[in-house]
Amino acid sequence: MAALQRVASSLSASASSYGSCKGAGADLMFSDQFPAGLRVLVVDDDITCLRLLEKMLCRCLYNVTTCSQATAALKLLRERKGCFDVVLSDVHMPDMDGFKLLELVGLEMDLPVIMMSADGRTSAVMRGIRHGACDYLIKPIREEELKNIWQHVIRKKWNENKEQEHSGSFEDNDYKRGNDDTENASSVNEGAEGVLKGQKKRNIAKEEDDNELEIDDPSASKKPRVVWSVELHQQFVSAVNQLGIDKAVPKRILELMNVPGLTRENVASHLQKFRLYLKRLSGVAQQGGISNTFCAPLDSNVKVNPLGRFDIQALAASSQIPPQTLAALHAELFGRPTGSLVTTVDQPALLQASMQGPKCIPVEHAVAFGQPLVKCQSNISKHFPRNVISVEDVASGFGAWSSNSVCTVGSSSNLGGMNSQNSNMLMDILQQQPPQQSSLSEPSRSINVQPSCLVVPSQSPATFQAGNSPASVDQNCSYNRSAMIDYNLLSAQSNNSSLNIGQILNGDLKTTGVSGYSGSVSISPLSPCSVDPDNTSQQGRSSTMAIRAVRQLPGLGPNISNFQGSYSAKSSEVLDQRPLRNLGFVAKCTSIPSRLAVDELESTMSSLDHEKSYMEISGNKVKQEPNIEFMDNARVGIPTLQQLPPAPSDRMSVFTE
Amino acid sequence: MLGWGVDRLRADMSRLLAILFHQGVLDEQFLQLQQLQDESSPNFVSEVVNIYFHESEKLLRNLRGLLLDREFSDYKKMGIHLNQFMGSSSSIGAKRVRNVCVAFRAASEQNNRAGCLRALELLEHEYCYLKNKLHELFQMEQQRVLAAGVRYPLHQQL
Repeated sequence: MAALQRVASSLSASASSYGSCKGAGADLMFSDQFPAGLRVLVVDDDITCLRLLEKMLCRCLYNVTTCSQATAALKLLRERKGCFDVVLSDVHMPDMDGFKLLELVGLEMDLPVIMMSADGRTSAVMRGIRHGACDYLIKPIREEELKNIWQHVIRKKWNENKEQEHSGSFEDNDYKRGNDDTENASSVNEGAEGVLKGQKKRNIAKEEDDNELEIDDPSASKKPRVVWSVELHQQFVSAVNQLGIDKAVPKRILELMNVPGLTRENVASHLQKFRLYLKRLSGVAQQGGISNTFCAPLDSNVKVNPLGRFDIQALAASSQIPPQTLAALHAELFGRPTGSLVTTVDQPALLQASMQGPKCIPVEHAVAFGQPLVKCQSNISKHFPRNVISVEDVASGFGAWSSNSVCTVGSSSNLGGMNSQNSNMLMDILQQQPPQQSSLSEPSRSINVQPSCLVVPSQSPATFQAGNSPASVDQNCSYNRSAMIDYNLLSAQSNNSSLNIGQILNGDLKTTGVSGYSGSVSISPLSPCSVDPDNTSQQGRSSTMAIRAVRQLPGLGPNISNFQGSYSAKSSEVLDQRPLRNLGFVAKCTSIPSRLAVDELESTMSSLDHEKSYMEISGNKVKQEPNIEFMDNARVGIPTLQQLPPAPSDRMSVFTE
Repeated sequence: MLGWGVDRLRADMSRLLAILFHQGVLDEQFLQLQQLQDESSPNFVSEVVNIYFHESEKLLRNLRGLLLDREFSDYKKMGIHLNQFMGSSSSIGAKRVRNVCVAFRAASEQNNRAGCLRALELLEHEYCYLKNKLHELFQMEQQRVLAAGVRYPLHQQL
């Protein structure tokens, strides 16, 4: 454990250099009793959890300090630098967002921060990771999970030590944040201390201005990880276009981009992925298969894009476009300040957009997920012609890019993040379709590009989260969520390219449509105008739901109140009978997740009240919505409720004894 | 005989707990909570649960206040309260309460006010039930401790 001792000595040296703190524990820390004595700061506004955690951490023999306010915690950390080894913080706190605390602690004190939350949805966890949390614990937290938090402390120290050893590879931004503690103590770089401190300041300033690069470990053994934010990628793309896609070599791209800290290797790997992506686009654009009937009903609705790009797109759709043209289109789209949505949408998505014709969505993967967008497109085209392209194409771009990027996710680029970005955008887009009846909703959400390189819709990400909520709501829940969870993971991580495309959006559709958890798009299975007499059948199929989504989207706005619960159970036969059929919907994805999602909602809802009142809850417009379905599906909730004993008598029974 | 009462009380407590587990009111997280009680903190469970009650009632009041406001539109704030409620409920093992919170959250994310109201009612109902049952449990525990304490001096005299 020589390395451990080295870390220990550096740590205790640093502790002693801050004499005022009760750093005596630091010496203990790496002694034989390790990890006993680890100094933990817990921040949570929920006193119950705070008390629980305190007790559990004490049981792990850690040295615990608790704080119920983030501001107080920050103050404590600043006053007593070096007195803590790790911080545990809740995500949602009234005085300060947990992620903000995370960033500040990381910047100022460079301590490992572990986030906690009751919200275990994938999107929430993803946010935590993107903000740089060492770990993300989901409440309820068990003692065993806390026993292991010392690993984050060690890991961080070791990585920092490695950085110092490779002092020759210091470059300005190779330090994520300066490591004052270990720098002071380390004997390796005494001369370089001043330089390092300077670097740290510059680094922080850089991070505040332009937080594009997060490089964890610049040591020669590992490639630094670069986060390709939207801005960075835009710069990359414009550089590529300037050079011409065929002539674009990493070295020249790097020069053109002129981003300090970016290495040729980063650019090279990103370029490789970009090329693969373009190839995929051009390949995909060729695939035929959509029936004409699919296109037909849309033709009348689709207005010609006044921008006149449709010609190119039609061409693009029908024949293979050489990468240069793609890149050119990309640049064109990129260059034009169309709706805010378009410009901020991820580039690959835009590129994809440029590929696709407005009408038939000839890209077949769009069959599966283009459908909800098809109708939307028609609506949007009336109002937001520009958004037409981006709407459908974020979806397909999302699918294509994420699947493409996923294949190469093994390397260091942070493409997983793009998935969430894309899906966020997708949700955003789905939200944006204005209801036919009502007036235009906001034309687009501006997507804020936050310094941490996460593209987040300006509206609360609840939409995306909501979309995922069926999946990740409850690990403890008796309903089997795993299929849904896996499905979402699948959509983010699958290695199947074309298959994935269909699945991704469908999955997302499901999540948004099915359970109605999604605040943004709740998809009603029935047309608001007509009653579906076939509504009684029970088999839930996600494809059905997708179709319904298509149908209903025109009627939906961002604030859907006509949440229909029974859409869970619709058979594919019902589907076929519907006029939607001419959409040529092909893909039938697994229905399990959707059914499960609905199950949860239904069972909880049914436990809320009897069936009829459920209608009141949904406040839907279609009164004839049969309720049997979700009762049948709500297997789990009801028994629980039924076990509820008659209230007064039972409670009194013990006392009367 | 008081000594006999101790055993009976212990049996009653076990039975009550078993019922609560069976009904899904509590889950194994509650067991974890019980395990945290030791000599250094002999009243840990009741302490934490009382904190939980105190906080939860605040939250429920807030939620009710929010929803009953005619001009209510801040679903996000409601979501935050719910999140906290969910976190603390799940941390002490109040499974049913937590599940209702989940449904509540779903309704609030759709801005479904009627659904939220219903969920709130159910939440209050579940919470009350839980509270009553846990109070029973603690009372029994108190009685048991008393009974055991009384017995002890008798033994000493022997």
